[in-house]
Amino acid sequence: MSDPGPQRTQDDDPRRGRARLRSALTPRATRAQVVAAALCAVLGFAAAVQVRANQDAGLTGLRQTDLVRILDDVSERGARLQAEARDLQDTRDQVTGGSSGTLAALEEARERARVLGILAGTLPAQGPGVELTINDVDGQVGADVLLDALQELRDAGAEAIEVATVAGPAVRVVASTSLVDVQGGVEVDGTELVSPYRFRVIGEPRTLAAALDIPGGVLDVLSQRDAQAVVTQRPSVSIASLRVAAAPRYARPAPDDEGDGNG
Amino acid sequence: MIAAIGLVLGIVAGLFLEPTVPLWLQPYLPIAVVAALDAVFGGLRALLDGIFDDRVFVVSFVGNVLVAAVIVYLGDQLGVGSQLSTGVVVVLGIRIFSNAAAIRRHLFSA
Repeated sequence: MSDPGPQRTQDDDPRRGRARLRSALTPRATRAQVVAAALCAVLGFAAAVQVRANQDAGLTGLRQTDLVRILDDVSERGARLQAEARDLQDTRDQVTGGSSGTLAALEEARERARVLGILAGTLPAQGPGVELTINDVDGQVGADVLLDALQELRDAGAEAIEVATVAGPAVRVVASTSLVDVQGGVEVDGTELVSPYRFRVIGEPRTLAAALDIPGGVLDVLSQRDAQAVVTQRPSVSIASLRVAAAPRYARPAPDDEGDGNG
Repeated sequence: MIAAIGLVLGIVAGLFLEPTVPLWLQPYLPIAVVAALDAVFGGLRALLDGIFDDRVFVVSFVGNVLVAAVIVYLGDQLGVGSQLSTGVVVVLGIRIFSNAAAIRRHLFSA
């Protein structure tokens, strides 16, 4: 280490600086060199220790305020996650607990829809029943006779009825079906049918056949009017013609309590 | 030369001994290291200026470290420890840079 000596000029001459550095770099056991070395050793030691401590420092090196903030964050996050977990558990309980009841209700609703669809003519129907064919030879079978036949079939427990011209258009008969006499035939719900007519009816076959065959009943009237009527009992009658159910414009389902009072 | 050897020896010792920093020292050690670094740069500059004095170097080294530690301690007690630490580091960093600039002028005249 160079003694500060007499030259205390603060020159910017690089050669001077380099010369001093070179002289300082020559190892001499002067007191200044030893002291500087000791302090530098302390600095190096502390720096190395700090770097090492910083590398594997988790939460140990943090201040109290930082630790409090981290703790707050963590606990807040935990509370949020717990609330979310509670919500999800509630949802799961609702779904799993109500599943059997919901499924049963759904099945019941589907069954009701099927029954009502057959009644309203919006679903095709199949089952045991009869086929009634009427060949109106003299043109004396009008809407009144067909209407009588329909009424008789309904009274006998017909569940689904279709009236058609043989090899012609078919009309599903429902509660609002109307029959109108027209030239050469009968108009059923706006569809003109001509003889021979064919009724397809689903119900108890023997009851239906018996209802048509009672004295003074439909078959008697038809024979009086010179029409040929044939009733065939079948184990399976298929009714494919459908109606489009129109939504009611005015009628609305009554609330349950009022319905109970009327019922 | 001996100073450089001492620095290397200290670093090696710190790396191989793996001492754990005591808890009470943990907030002060980083600031103390930066303060000591400032003192070393100041000493190097004084050396190149030709005004190096070992007594001054020791006093500035120890004094820097102590003052930095006291400031950090005071800041911790006042509740502004982290901000004050940042301030100390910034000031020391500025001093280190100015010292480094002076050293550079001496060695490279640039």
